[in-house]
Amino acid sequence: MSEPIEPSTYPPAERTAEDEYLHCIRCGLCLSVCPLYRLTLNETDSPRARVALLRAVREGMIEEPSDDTAARFFSCLLCGACTFACPSGVTVDRILELTRGEMSDLGLLPEPLVALSQRIAEGHNISGEPNENRLMWADNLPDRPRGIGKEEAEVVYFVGCVSAMFPRSYSVAQSFVELLEKADVDYGLLGEQEWCCGYPQAISGEPDQARGTMRHNLEAVRAMKARTVVTTCPSCYHFWKHTYPVALGEEIDLEVLHATEFVADLLDADRLPLRKDMREQVVTYHDPCDLGRKAGVFDAPRRILDHIPNVTLVEMPENREGSHCCGGGGNLESFDPALSEAIAARRIRQAAETGAKTVLSACQQCERTLFSAARSERIRIRAKDIMELVLEATA
Amino acid sequence: MSDQALIQDLQEAIGVEKVLTSLEDRIAYSYDGTFEQDLPDVAILPESNEDVAAILRLAQEYDVPVVPRGMASGLAAASVPFGGGIVLSLTKMNRILEIDEENHTVRVEAGAITADVEAAVEEFGLFYPPDPSSNEQSTIGGNIACNAGGPRCLKYGVTGDYVMGLTVVLADGQVLRTGGKAIKNVVGYDLNALFVGSEGTLGVITEALLRLTTKPRAVRTARAEFPALEDASRTVNAILDAGVVPATLEMMDETAITCIEEAMGLGLPLDVEAMLIIETDGSDEETVLREIETVARVCRESGAREVIIAKSEGEREQLWRARRSVSPSLARKAPNKLGEDITVPRSAIPEAVRRIKAISADYGLPIVIFGHAGDGNLHPNILFDKRNEEEWKKVQQIVGEIFQVALDLEGTLSGEHGVGTLKRPYMEQALGRLSLDVQRRIKGALDPHGILNPGKVLPGP
Repeated sequence: MSEPIEPSTYPPAERTAEDEYLHCIRCGLCLSVCPLYRLTLNETDSPRARVALLRAVREGMIEEPSDDTAARFFSCLLCGACTFACPSGVTVDRILELTRGEMSDLGLLPEPLVALSQRIAEGHNISGEPNENRLMWADNLPDRPRGIGKEEAEVVYFVGCVSAMFPRSYSVAQSFVELLEKADVDYGLLGEQEWCCGYPQAISGEPDQARGTMRHNLEAVRAMKARTVVTTCPSCYHFWKHTYPVALGEEIDLEVLHATEFVADLLDADRLPLRKDMREQVVTYHDPCDLGRKAGVFDAPRRILDHIPNVTLVEMPENREGSHCCGGGGNLESFDPALSEAIAARRIRQAAETGAKTVLSACQQCERTLFSAARSERIRIRAKDIMELVLEATA
Repeated sequence: MSDQALIQDLQEAIGVEKVLTSLEDRIAYSYDGTFEQDLPDVAILPESNEDVAAILRLAQEYDVPVVPRGMASGLAAASVPFGGGIVLSLTKMNRILEIDEENHTVRVEAGAITADVEAAVEEFGLFYPPDPSSNEQSTIGGNIACNAGGPRCLKYGVTGDYVMGLTVVLADGQVLRTGGKAIKNVVGYDLNALFVGSEGTLGVITEALLRLTTKPRAVRTARAEFPALEDASRTVNAILDAGVVPATLEMMDETAITCIEEAMGLGLPLDVEAMLIIETDGSDEETVLREIETVARVCRESGAREVIIAKSEGEREQLWRARRSVSPSLARKAPNKLGEDITVPRSAIPEAVRRIKAISADYGLPIVIFGHAGDGNLHPNILFDKRNEEEWKKVQQIVGEIFQVALDLEGTLSGEHGVGTLKRPYMEQALGRLSLDVQRRIKGALDPHGILNPGKVLPGP
């Protein structure tokens, strides 16, 4: 078996993920913050049960894990809420990411993920389309982005599979690129040289494949002689920032930023002039799990909102570290769409209860999940990526 | 017993989706907040009194044990299904049925999470005072079955003090209703009191009518540092003598302070023997402030080196942070902890702490002590690694010695965690034969076939 990849690197670093489960004292505090448990009220769906299940596998209570066993490790949002609540500091999401890999080694990867891995192996992206289509999102912009076809650039915008390949999310990439141009940033796009970031492979038990794709991406960015990689996708960001150096075993000598950090800096430096005549509006902000809890980026999006005239932010009670997953995390959608939708419905109701007419996020996945939830719940609130709002606000 | 036939009958009686039989599901229902574990044959998630009644009738017919369970944060292994049988999880019966604003009561299903009930009644300006520190991960039914307490119980009492009525499904499936909204009620035996603390051995609590008070509008918090533990202990009485009944009176001894400081670095003093966190509350800001000032004065007069009164919510948060950091700090020090729950008369606290420290030194294992100084309820936590057999053996001996300390000082085994299986071996010593005999007769009358949580609370004859 090849060396697994630990997709998350949290403290406490002194413990190995291998024996992390031993530190669970079964107090049950994680149940109170787990979006899945709060919905089903069935212990089976709790973080504590998943840790107990892993222990049962390790200690022989489960002699041979079955598909049913594996399913319990895959039907989790990996949102990390439990990890933040745990008094013993047990990183449940990290344990589960690793265990998913183990299940895959045993041939127990659920069908949707087998297919996903194949798509990435064949086409270098999650969509199943040829990777040449990576820049189709740019086709209906008024001007061809200057970042296309560049040989060298200070900044590489790593678009990520979803915003690049799924028309529903094109607007995230489009908005961000327009902002880069308005601020006259020297940026480049990798086009078909951009491959999947490797996160899906790493948590599907394909560590070598994941390392291959990471290595490719790193070399492609280096070939551009860039100093900074910026992403709009929080998962790509989290993975680039925390996992690339560890998994590839080297300093990656690049500054990795999320688009919210990058744009907040541009606004601080007065490089994006804003309209004064924005309409008065009340918004709330949904912290994506991979950007907030897992990567600690809470202030940048709020700094952006401070800059935009006439925009008032009202927080949901569950915000920042305590944010409630949008329902789109951990691939739960592929296994149990109804459950994923129910979690999204709960979050969109929380957003609506603030009185805001718009819920902003900084993640294409959260935006899509919240948007659908608002529709199916018939709640009149708009879901939007924060980049779209900034673009509206630029003169 | 034919497992398959029982499961089929259960599925027919209440619906297939409420009956969980896979190994993975059974593992999820095999433990509680201790390190004990055993697999049930089946876990069931009933949604109504009728469901519970049907399950109990079948259990009686098939002679299978039933272990009622809330969120399984219990610390005495009372909801661990030793030897198998049915785990009856009440978590889906979590509705808040009625908030009576005029009579200050709330009627809830047993599976309602305690913190959710607190929040729901607070919206009406009402207050449910019992505050077990597990209020986010425990249910009202579980709190009643264990008669849970909490920091506020010096002034406000424990869970049982708020139970006005119960719905209990008996072992034979009959549904019993006890008590009611009348505050004064002496008609017949007090059956509420019988089921409070019964840990699922006498019946399955499915609903509760709880008494509420109005929400205190003001609260003030102080922290006092005592170079001498005796002084801290004396202070408790001195405060009460001064006419102030604090809402909470939490104590951390130097073992706890050191442990927190090592793990969290909050800047706590390492040269004191005890710290008290004291809170006064009430409807009037001025009175509450005057009371906390009295508390501070009494603390100083009784030997406190420093007393801090929080001036803002932020400062209050800071003062509480030390107390709330106890658990995480313990967890960072060792993989396992065993938290005991003895109570002694208030005046015996210093002696109890002294003796427990001596036990810790004898065995060479850390024991961290904190607790509720107002009611003499101490939580000595033994820190160890269960994988180390020698340590585990020592832990079991230490537990016996700690219980002995409690009994020698005219205290008892448990203030709020309950007996479960962990304290069963010490029951006779704590209560005497006759008391156990009376309790066994009650058990026999209500559960003649012994299907309700067998092996818990009462030791074998």
